[in-house]
Formats: sequence, structure tokens, C-alpha cells
Amino acid sequence: MELLNRLMAVQHRKGALTDDVLRGLSREWRVPLYRLEGLRSFYPVFRDQPGAPRRLSVCRDVACRMAAGPDFAERVAQAMMGFDGIEVESVSCLGLCHAAPAALAGDVPVSGSPERLRDGMSGRQPQPLVGDPPAGVAAVDPYRGADGHYGTLVELLDGGRPESVIETLEASGLRGMGGAGFPTGRKWRFTRAASGGPRTVVCNADESEPGTFKDRLLLERAPHLVIEAMIIGGWVIGASHGIIYLRHEYEHAREALHKALERARADGYIGSNIRGSGFDFELDLFISPGGYIMGEETALLEGLEDRRGEPRNKPPFPTQVGYNGGPTLMNNVETFALIPRILQDGAEGWKARGREGYSGLKFLSVSGDVAAPGVYCVPAGTPIRDVIERAGGMAGGRSLYAFCPGGASTPFLPAALADTPVDFDALAQAGAGLGSGALFVVGSGRDLLDLAIQQVRFFRNESCGKCVPCRTGSAQAVSKLEAAQAGAPEEGLTELLEALDETLVQTSICGLGQVALTPIMGLLRHFPDEAARLRRPHD
Amino acid sequence: MTDTVSLTIDDQAVEVPVGTTIWDAARSLGIDIPVLCHSTRMRPVGVCRMCVVDTGVRNLQASCVRPCEEGMAVYTDSEKVRRNRRMLLELLLADYPAPGNREATTGDDELLALARDYGVEHSRFQASASAAPAPVDDSSPVIVVDHAACILCDRCIRGCDELQHNDVMTRSGKGAATHIAFDLDVPMGESTCVACGECQAVCPTGALTNRSLHGLHVLAEDRE
Repeated sequence: MELLNRLMAVQHRKGALTDDVLRGLSREWRVPLYRLEGLRSFYPVFRDQPGAPRRLSVCRDVACRMAAGPDFAERVAQAMMGFDGIEVESVSCLGLCHAAPAALAGDVPVSGSPERLRDGMSGRQPQPLVGDPPAGVAAVDPYRGADGHYGTLVELLDGGRPESVIETLEASGLRGMGGAGFPTGRKWRFTRAASGGPRTVVCNADESEPGTFKDRLLLERAPHLVIEAMIIGGWVIGASHGIIYLRHEYEHAREALHKALERARADGYIGSNIRGSGFDFELDLFISPGGYIMGEETALLEGLEDRRGEPRNKPPFPTQVGYNGGPTLMNNVETFALIPRILQDGAEGWKARGREGYSGLKFLSVSGDVAAPGVYCVPAGTPIRDVIERAGGMAGGRSLYAFCPGGASTPFLPAALADTPVDFDALAQAGAGLGSGALFVVGSGRDLLDLAIQQVRFFRNESCGKCVPCRTGSAQAVSKLEAAQAGAPEEGLTELLEALDETLVQTSICGLGQVALTPIMGLLRHFPDEAARLRRPHD
Repeated sequence: MTDTVSLTIDDQAVEVPVGTTIWDAARSLGIDIPVLCHSTRMRPVGVCRMCVVDTGVRNLQASCVRPCEEGMAVYTDSEKVRRNRRMLLELLLADYPAPGNREATTGDDELLALARDYGVEHSRFQASASAAPAPVDDSSPVIVVDHAACILCDRCIRGCDELQHNDVMTRSGKGAATHIAFDLDVPMGESTCVACGECQAVCPTGALTNRSLHGLHVLAEDRE
């Protein structure tokens, strides 16, 4: 954290890490040049030359692409021509999908037509700020007001048993909400049982899966739930240090977390001898230097240890060998945020919040062709069709054509499967998965192949480059798909892509490479008309 | 007494100390698992994925970094394993300069040898644009860098930074733009490289080779 924090501070102060700046830092800090180059060239917040004074970062991923067309960033750049001191760049999903097409003006979320964005950037009009979507956070907050916050922690410190927390989490059926769905209670049990140190609790707040913005809203509106669960986690696994790893584009969430941390410190929930219990816990907020890959748990750890964010080979898993070599309890924002409610409810009470035999509640980021995109907290087991209704139903007079239930890592499913309930196993059985709970809705008349190719492009853009299959395979897949889209699918393309998909799944180090071709495999399986566009007529 | 685990590799039983990698255990049985990024002198990194083996779990496992486990049944050469290795070779050969500086001179290019073993004669993928500032860097007095032949196996970097402690080499860039680099991504001859030769000695391909091998004079001689 130390080296990257120092580099980020210099980047912020000087506007760039030029060669001259890095040579100076190398001498001053006694760090070899190659290490600084490795970091500067890997993390998107670093630049080797200063940019224009004002920057507009335009999202290029699916929700924004569908709302504004594939050439949106170019049109925005064109609209900005002739205005000095403004630079336009296209970037990966910003977690502003409810306001598509969206962009960041500096660190301010904005949305609108190229002309409206130009007028905001040039100062002719106020910035077209992104509105606040629904988030449904109250459903999981067990406290009536700020005075009640941390009540669960206080109860536990006053004679509770760490073992009983783990038992409740196990019995609740809670699974990791970042995308992988690993059973949370089991993770806490493994980490508690692991020997050695240092012991650390990490909150993975690097939400970047296209279409996902639930964690951002949870952090903006209920940061105390995440902080409380992390402290409880520290108490359970015997850690006195926690780190929140936050996506750098989430400025509002940073402010909310900062305030909540100050308050928790002032009220004695963070620090030494918490509430007279003898238990100490410190909590750091680390701002990511950028990149989707950093949300992969071991890439995140590499970042925290001041290296390039390249995923580690597993095993060992972070529960055994994590941050600085010690046992690390890492959970996603939503996973942590649900824990105070679960501990208050008890396992049975929590499970009963689901419907038709499914357990608990689930936050879904709903975007695409719905009338009221936003975050919805629904009982597990709710059919996807009902979630779409909750989000205002289909927009623009379109009928449902396809939906992607869990972010770009899960394939598109056809409208015929919209009765599938919101649940890890039920969606997996339907051929997809719950992933990060990013429900992206595609209406009739949309170009699904184009959207699926954009998802593959996203993975190519965000590949760290460490292992051969992901680095080369994702790039090769994109160039073949682009050629096919331009009207010339090569002979045997779908067979080649299926073989390449097998190698990506079987041999990539981490989940990114493993799912890089999933969007296309989904089309081949579920959408014969789209698949036909990747075949020559005689194939 | 060391704790050990027992397993089978290609149906042969073996007992090894806890923590032994599958790759090392296989070697002790005389089974050579192909690999491009690993070298016995180095810490394994598991990036070329050529050494993947089937342990019966969902994904193939990179044997150079995967510790053996009690009761494992490992298959190092099944049709599934070979099929995926062939695909990896095709991906690497897509932008590989034929025959490359190493094969054309000393004839010990490990990638091309493996491709011959696996019968991969051509790639169904096309060459992509070079990720490095210049495709060929002959600025060093001793060593020529051909980025098109680099497979980012990391051997040169570990050789430079971890074996020799010269601290010059890194990966620069990210994703498809990743390339090996010297200091702040300057030409090798302008970097703090001391021309020790470790990187060209450990390079498995034609990416780092000696100038004299392909008709270029070693620059120090010119000066005399």
C-alpha cells in the first residue's frame, strides 16, 4: 500500500509520473526503476505525460453502448472539438449503468447527449449530474438511526462467541456476492482456523463487473453495515487490522466511508480496547489505482503489496496465505453489508426472507431496457420476470429478448428463461449464474451479437496479461469476432471459438480468462439466430 | 522426519515431501512435463500454462506451481491435456517470427521444439501488432531483443532481478500490450543493463539472443 499510495500522491500532485519524476523518486526512495515502470504502466490512474486540465471519461460498455450506440465516445470527442483543455477518453464500465450513457467529468458522474456533456464540460451549463437511483438499502439495515449503529458488534463483544457467528453464517446459507458465490460461513471458518499472521480482514470494494453498481450504492448509503461486519470479522478470525479496497472512480462512496470511519473511531468502535472488550481493530481505506482485474482477490492482494495486479496461482488461497503471507478474510461489500441483519435475524429468520424455499435477500443492479433502472433488494427466489417488473417493466415499448443475470461473466439467456428464480443454483441450472447480481435487460430489436462482442472486448481490455491463454486468446477472439461482425465470418469460426473457449476455461490462471468467451458461448447455446451470424451459410 | 504425501502420476505411485510440485514429482519418476516459463534454477510462476495436467478437478492445473496432494491421481499426457497444449502453442505461434533468431543460429528454440513434438505446424490465429515501442531492439552491445518472439515467460525478468540482482527488467504495459522492458521502458543499450547475459541464457525463444549469432558484431569489439 505504501509505495502505491506514494505514487498516487505524486501523480495527483504533478499530474503525471514522467520519466524524470520517476528517476528522482527512484533515487529518493531507493526503489529500482524497473519496479516503478512496472507499476506506472500497469495501473490506469498513472500517466507518463500530463493530460489536459479537464478530463471526461466516457463509458464504452454494454449498458451505455446500448443506450447511445457504439460510437458514443467518438461523438462526444467530436462535440468537444475546438474546446481547449478538455480531453475525452473511453473507459470500462463506471458503475453508472442506471444513468446510461454515463461518464465521469473528473470524478463527477455525469450523463447525457454529446452536446449536453460538451456544455457541462465547457461551463456553458451546469454539469448534467447523474441522479440517485433507488437502492433498497433499508431492507437490510437492522438499525433505526445512527444511534443504533454497531449494536450487533456491541452485543457480540459483551459475551458473544466467535464460533456462534460462524455457525449462524453457515446455517444462513450466505454466499459471496462479488461473483463467485463461495459460502461465507465456510470462508470465515477456514480463516479462523488458519495459523500464522499477520491476520487481516479485507473488504473487496473494487466493484467493476459491467452492469454492477449495488456495492457503490450500499457504500454510499449504508457504509456502517460494511464497517461493522469487518470489525466483527476481525473479532471472529483474530485480526486487528482491516483494509477496504475501494475502486478509485467511487468518489461519493469514498466520502461516505471516510465520514463513517471517522464517526466509528470517535464512538470507539474502531481503535484499541473497543468498548472495553480488550479487542483492538484498525481499519484503513485504500483507493485502487484502477483496473477491473484488481477485483480478483489475489490481484487485489498483489496491489496491496505494491506489485502489479496480476492474479496469483491458487492454491494457496487467501484464507491461508493472503495479505503479506498471513490468513486473510476477504469478502465483497454486499456480503459484509448483509451480515448485521443476518446476525440479528438468526439463520432461520434470514432464510425466511426468501420465497418459495430460497433463502434471504439479494441486491440486484438492474440496467438496460427497463423503465426504472436501479438497485433492487429482492427476496431470493423471485423470478427474473418479476425483478424486471419491479424495475418499471420493459422500456420504450420493447418486449424482452434476452437478459444477462450476473454481469459480463455470465452468459445471456433468452426471454423464455425469464421465470428462473434469483438464486445461485437455479440460474446455474438455467445455464448462466447469479454472478455479481447485475441484471442487464435487452429488449427486442437490439443487436445482441454486438453487445456480446463488447463483453468479450471488455475482458480483453481488462486482461492483466500475465498468462498466455487470456492475454493472447482474448485478443485473438476479439479480432476474429470483429471480422465476422464486419460481414466475413471465416470458415469454421464457431468451432475454433469453442476450442479456444475450452483452453481459456481450462488453462487460465484466474476467472477473467476463464469467462472471457462466455458471452459468445452463451449466444451459440441459446440464440441460434445470433450464432448464425458467426457462421458462413454453408458451414 | 518430513511429512510426505502419496499420489499417482500417470498411474505410477510416488511419495514426495509436502509442498513438492507435481512437475518436480513427475520428474522424479522420469516423466517430463513440457514447460516454457519454468526453469529448475528459478521460482516457478505458472504463466505459460504449457505444463497443465489433469488432476480430476474442474480445470487443468499448472503442474510447476501446483503442490501435490495426498491421493491425487494426475494425468500428464491425456488427450484433453494435449489438445489444450496444442491450442496454447497455436496462440503463441500466431505472431512468432519464423524461424526466429535462436532457431536460425543455435537451433535450441524451446517453443519451436515443443510445437514440433505436438505436430503444430501452423496457427489458425493471425499476428497482432507489436506491444513494444520498437519490434527489434539492437541497442545493447551484446544482446538483441526481438519482441515478436517474446512469449512473456518471465524467465529473463527473474534471471535479471532475482538471480543476478541487477534489477533492470520488468513487464511493462498490461494485457495484450504487455512486453518486457528495461528500466523505464528504454532501449536495452540505454538502460542500466550490465550485459551479464543471464537473460539471453535463460530465454527459451528467439526473443533475447547474442548479437554475434545473427551477423551483428558485438559492439564492444567495434570500438577497439
